[in-house]
Amino acid sequence: MATTLKQVDVAVIGLGAVGGVAVLPLARAGLKIAGIEAGTWMDPHKDFHADEVFNNVRRLVTSSPKAQREIPTVRTGPGEKGVQAATHPMMNAVGGTSIHYWAQSWRLKPWDFRTRSEVIRRYGASAIPAGTTLEDWPLTYDELAPFYERIEEEVGVSGAAGNIQGKLTGVGNPFEGPRDKEYPMPPLRGSGFTDHMADAAKKLGWKPFAPPAAINSQPRKGRGACVYHGYCATGGCHVSAKNSTAVTTIPEAQKTKNLTIFDNAQVTRIETDSNGRTTGVRYIRNRQEYFQPAKVVLLAGYTYENSRLLLLSKSKAYPQGLSNNHGQVGRHYFGHWGTNVTALFPSDINIWYGLPAQGTTCDEWADDHFDHAGRGFVGGSSLHVYTERHPIDAAAMNTFGRAPGWGSAWKKFIHDAAARQAQTYLQTNTFPYETLYLDLDDAIRDPLGDPVCRINTGGMRENERRSVLHAQDKMEEWYRAAGAIEVFKPPPATPGVSTHAYGGTRMGDNPDTNVVNRWGFSHESPNLGILGASVMGTSGARNPTLTAQALAWRTADYLAKNWKSISI
Amino acid sequence: MAKGFEVDDELRFSRRDLIVAAAFVPLAALTAQAQAVPAALTPTQLKTLEAFIDRLIPTDELGPGAVASGARVYIERVLAGPNVNEKAQFLEGLEAVDAYAKRTQGGSLAELSPEKRDQILKAIDDGTAQGLPQGRAFFNRARRLTLEGMFGDPYYGGNKGFAGWDLIRYPGPRSAVEADMQRMDKAPAPFRRSAWGPQYQ
Repeated sequence: MATTLKQVDVAVIGLGAVGGVAVLPLARAGLKIAGIEAGTWMDPHKDFHADEVFNNVRRLVTSSPKAQREIPTVRTGPGEKGVQAATHPMMNAVGGTSIHYWAQSWRLKPWDFRTRSEVIRRYGASAIPAGTTLEDWPLTYDELAPFYERIEEEVGVSGAAGNIQGKLTGVGNPFEGPRDKEYPMPPLRGSGFTDHMADAAKKLGWKPFAPPAAINSQPRKGRGACVYHGYCATGGCHVSAKNSTAVTTIPEAQKTKNLTIFDNAQVTRIETDSNGRTTGVRYIRNRQEYFQPAKVVLLAGYTYENSRLLLLSKSKAYPQGLSNNHGQVGRHYFGHWGTNVTALFPSDINIWYGLPAQGTTCDEWADDHFDHAGRGFVGGSSLHVYTERHPIDAAAMNTFGRAPGWGSAWKKFIHDAAARQAQTYLQTNTFPYETLYLDLDDAIRDPLGDPVCRINTGGMRENERRSVLHAQDKMEEWYRAAGAIEVFKPPPATPGVSTHAYGGTRMGDNPDTNVVNRWGFSHESPNLGILGASVMGTSGARNPTLTAQALAWRTADYLAKNWKSISI
Repeated sequence: MAKGFEVDDELRFSRRDLIVAAAFVPLAALTAQAQAVPAALTPTQLKTLEAFIDRLIPTDELGPGAVASGARVYIERVLAGPNVNEKAQFLEGLEAVDAYAKRTQGGSLAELSPEKRDQILKAIDDGTAQGLPQGRAFFNRARRLTLEGMFGDPYYGGNKGFAGWDLIRYPGPRSAVEADMQRMDKAPAPFRRSAWGPQYQ
């Protein structure tokens, strides 16, 4: 039998990018919190290394066991078997994937919150992609802006403002929504190559800028600045300049003495009473089963785990899974579309060192910043060139048809070319669809016997496919302007298990089409809050973490301010 | 509100055995595998492996190839340690290539001239090698592991003397990098040192 623990005010499931920030406003408000985390603390000196085999080949930083035991399966739809991916791209740890992510920390655009209305207004209802379940968000950019600002300050984001209170600054992103003030830190420095690409963009009449990142560009709050050593992605920061929640909001919350962390604790169910109220969480730690009663539960796992845990938590009040009496859990899921375009330059570009957040971005071809009339798609992509290249990856490069894949001719090719290949990250506005959803796999289970999450893709999406092709052409134009001699554009592909996974517990006012209300609380179980990109109804053309964190802070802030009515 | 707590029947079964199966593997246990003892490949298998990867990345006027840079040592170690799950399949693929060599060139791979071995690699790469259904998969896997060995940190047994890094002008892992080391018009000076210490080279 499970050991029942003393009741706490709030149980937070998962101390990653979002649970890790939500604990701070709660702790400051004096609420007693149990932070239940499947992973544990990582040690920058012991666990983080400038070693590609360690980080990228063996994935020893990221391959924490819990996530790897429940890798989602992927299939097109009913009638097919789900196929499990080789690895789960997210990790369990205090700090979660914010330990090894790229730390690009964008605000979404005002358009992202009102995409449906804006597309209809500008292009007519027929321009809405066929089969999409797209809705406007229940809040606007202006409503979220103060929480973006809060996270930028509490977590620590570097960047250059492009738009302060409606006035363009001449630097930064000219297409961003208005900000109240400048970023807490200046942007990360550029490299020779990213500066070269910025010059080429200017020649095209574009407005390149250094994108925002949750990385110290200068010493801040007792931690040092980025050292640009080239092992940021899929590694961890050995000098703690990357502002994961493990070095920012979580230790800050611990100072209040109101946060108790239970690490290596895997939550297996969220429990409810006969009235449908959430009563606490069941978890396994050190091979023992515990029940942690809580007045309020905040579910802060990753997108796949959020839907999965709700679907697994069946009860008399919720026979189809917790908060799923309207059949919306798992719905409106989507993986972020995106693509890499690679290019070969005639001389060395020296992008070995640096980090993916050290780069040049252009937003001309993202969102609705260009006229889509007659193009057959809506949305677009941000175009981002960056640094950090590892030697095995460089040697494994595409030969652009210029050499065979082995032997002396290949050796000569990589001798010349491995130091001359650039890579990009294009992120595409992605939408939810009726036939794209998460459910539980009927065959594949984790070692506890629980089914894993299953992604039903519904197949190729014409809107996103066209959008990616358009962005790739723009990226080629940019590369060519910079002097590239070869450009490779991979065919657009339907996303599988993704580090940018959205929806499944979408936020909206209508309980028939959304799981949580505008404050992030369940429409069905009023003392259950849900945090993460799983509440987002659109992706934006950029990384989701800052938005997920701003929403998490907002939900926690709302909880603290309305504690009596929510906790009863 | 623990009072109102109701246990769903589905959750009542004992999970003890399953919990044991799901015990957490500490990171330290995984990292210890990096320096595992070389695999027990037979001397014949080692020679065959060398004969194959020697043609993937030959030693030539540009410097040491896969064998001279120790990629074989890397492959042996990973097949004994972290990649032990693919060892049987990998060796099966290797044996099949050797049997193909005997069938088509009249000798085992290790006995054939570089030119004859090149013909074998080319046939596998082109997909024209008859009776070798797993040839392509083996080729890709062997190539990938060879790249990991030759261009990975010397800590893992390959990239001896930093031959792989020098070949592609990778300047080596540094703990901190100044702006001047990221210029396009000037390459940073090579820093030939393993991330795990100067004893690995």
